[in-house]
Amino acid sequence: MKSTKPTVGFYSITGCAGCLLSFIFNEKEIVQMTKLVTIVSFPFIHESAEIKEVDVAFMEGLVASPEDEEVLKEVRKKAKTLVALGACAHTACIPGYRHFVPKDSYARLMYEKLHKIKTIEPGPIDKYVQVDFTIPGCPPNKREIIKSVVNLCLKKQLKNYTSPVCVECRRNNNRCLLEENRICLGPITRGGCNAICTNSHFECWGCRGPTDDMNLPAFIELLEGKGFTKRDIRERIIAFSGQKNPKVLEVLP
Amino acid sequence: MTEITLSHITKIEGHAALHVKIDKGKLKTCRLTAVEGSRYFEGLVKGRNYHEAPEMTSRICGICSCAHTIAAQKAVERALDVHVTDQTKRLRKILTLGERIRSHATHLHFLALPDYLGKASGLDLLPKYQKEIERALRLMHFGNKVVHVIGGREIHPVAAQVGGFTNIPDPQKVAELLEEAKKLIPDTIKAAQLFLKLKTPNIQQGFDWFSLTNPEEYAVLEGDLKSSKKTYTQEHYLDYIEEYHTRDSTANFVVKDGKSFMVGALARFNNNRHQLMPKALALMKHSPLKDISTNPFHQNIAQAIETVHSMEDIVELLKEPFKEEKRILPTQHSGHGIAAIEVPRGILWHEYRIQKGKIVYCNIITPTAQNLLLMNENLKGYIPTVLDLPKEEIILGIEKLIRAYDPCFSCSAHFLKVDWEEG
Repeated sequence: MKSTKPTVGFYSITGCAGCLLSFIFNEKEIVQMTKLVTIVSFPFIHESAEIKEVDVAFMEGLVASPEDEEVLKEVRKKAKTLVALGACAHTACIPGYRHFVPKDSYARLMYEKLHKIKTIEPGPIDKYVQVDFTIPGCPPNKREIIKSVVNLCLKKQLKNYTSPVCVECRRNNNRCLLEENRICLGPITRGGCNAICTNSHFECWGCRGPTDDMNLPAFIELLEGKGFTKRDIRERIIAFSGQKNPKVLEVLP
Repeated sequence: MTEITLSHITKIEGHAALHVKIDKGKLKTCRLTAVEGSRYFEGLVKGRNYHEAPEMTSRICGICSCAHTIAAQKAVERALDVHVTDQTKRLRKILTLGERIRSHATHLHFLALPDYLGKASGLDLLPKYQKEIERALRLMHFGNKVVHVIGGREIHPVAAQVGGFTNIPDPQKVAELLEEAKKLIPDTIKAAQLFLKLKTPNIQQGFDWFSLTNPEEYAVLEGDLKSSKKTYTQEHYLDYIEEYHTRDSTANFVVKDGKSFMVGALARFNNNRHQLMPKALALMKHSPLKDISTNPFHQNIAQAIETVHSMEDIVELLKEPFKEEKRILPTQHSGHGIAAIEVPRGILWHEYRIQKGKIVYCNIITPTAQNLLLMNENLKGYIPTVLDLPKEEIILGIEKLIRAYDPCFSCSAHFLKVDWEEG
């Protein structure tokens, strides 16, 4: 009998495996999950040599080598729906910060320049292929991943949270870190994370990318008024999501 | 000449490649390399503020994010002469052991165990081994909870910072963790007994090992370095540790005193096994690890017993309540600091030079980079002994050996691809 369960594949290119682990760390639901969907591929747990056709593909990681680009394009070709899983796939995350760093900062480490392995400009996956949905975060909230898998398999429309982190942070009654003179990117960052970092009194670094309606000039003015330099503000904003925030490069060149 | 290419040996973390060439029944070439896209973390932190190093370098590895966070903090603190409180040390140790429990439980049950039970993957262990898988998931769940309660997040924790913690853990949640840890000790023992029962290949290969050692405790975050022959201090690590690069690998190779060496759970056992907590100690004494071992397959047994130890240790560490404390901020803003800590796969090194609060130099050496050369040598020693077996069995043996090291190629630089050439 042919299985009618939806097929799901998880794939990874250059990254830290944190987003894949976040999915596995749904310890209570993961066994149940295998009954609802057929997991065709999961890096380091259940992998097959060829990239097969799937209903939904989740891609973790950024493109940092020609091989990454090849794998990504093959996965796109074989998947009805492609989901960018996590910050590396979405914004290129911290490894994508290299795009803004002077080359002499890491030239010492470019040993492969002399050799066979090629490194290319780090970039998010939508720079190379069409992405149907993005689960942001470094890593994403683990519940968010499992909810997306279920909803996609039920062919439900997925929606991204669009309000800034401050909305959830206030709801959680946290002290405002901006008032404590810290560079907290909550006001300009997409929420949906339940303000997990600011709940621990650690400032938001913007890993879920900028909100569509952020007021960047006012935010920069606020931080400058607190004594932060343009450089400190710029470097903090571009660390996780510079490649998805072209405005910041206009305002703070 | 027959040429056979096998791609995708899986169940290791990250992407690597193995090239094997056999000519007239003799092993000619055997090279294990990492082929992951480069990320240059050490270059990315250059010019950043010292307190940003932990948050950024934590992104090197999702499975060891606590490890990178803590190693960065400790190295920065050494550079800036910051001395943290005993409570901060205790919280960091709990965080590290929580991460170790989830990492070992994941590796042992999902990556290593399927080989021994003749299954293709952890998922194929269901439904027959449902009990074992559920036990592993309980342990992973607990490790995650520890990291969440102490570190504020399950992956890439944020509560641990340079100079201390942003806030102390919720006492109610700490009490729950303590109760759960006590209840889970029998689970860790059953898991260890399972791995003690598995038939491991009996190979002894002469090699040196390297781990932290501390007269006070089974070393985790504090101590000198110890090999089979002598002890070393952390400060002068470049006197005995050397990194080098090859043409085809994005991970660097590391040698100690010019030679290959092993880091990880087995190395820690060889040096410190008599300091294990009581239940882990009793298991060790009735295991092949009661004596020094140079059988790389024993790494799995060491990890399984270490999980028992970590759980017992966490019970002790959680007993005393935590009090509100201020983080200790540096009074000097320039300096040089090195930190070596024991993380799931072995020693992790972080080094920073800081000038006027900005990082001017960073060097990171991961456990897998340190094990890479020895893994290559072990394979060269192992393959000739099994050449008369069917090819599938040889490949399974190679995979088991590599997985026993629990390599993490995300850390060191992604898949294991076997290029097989036969003449």
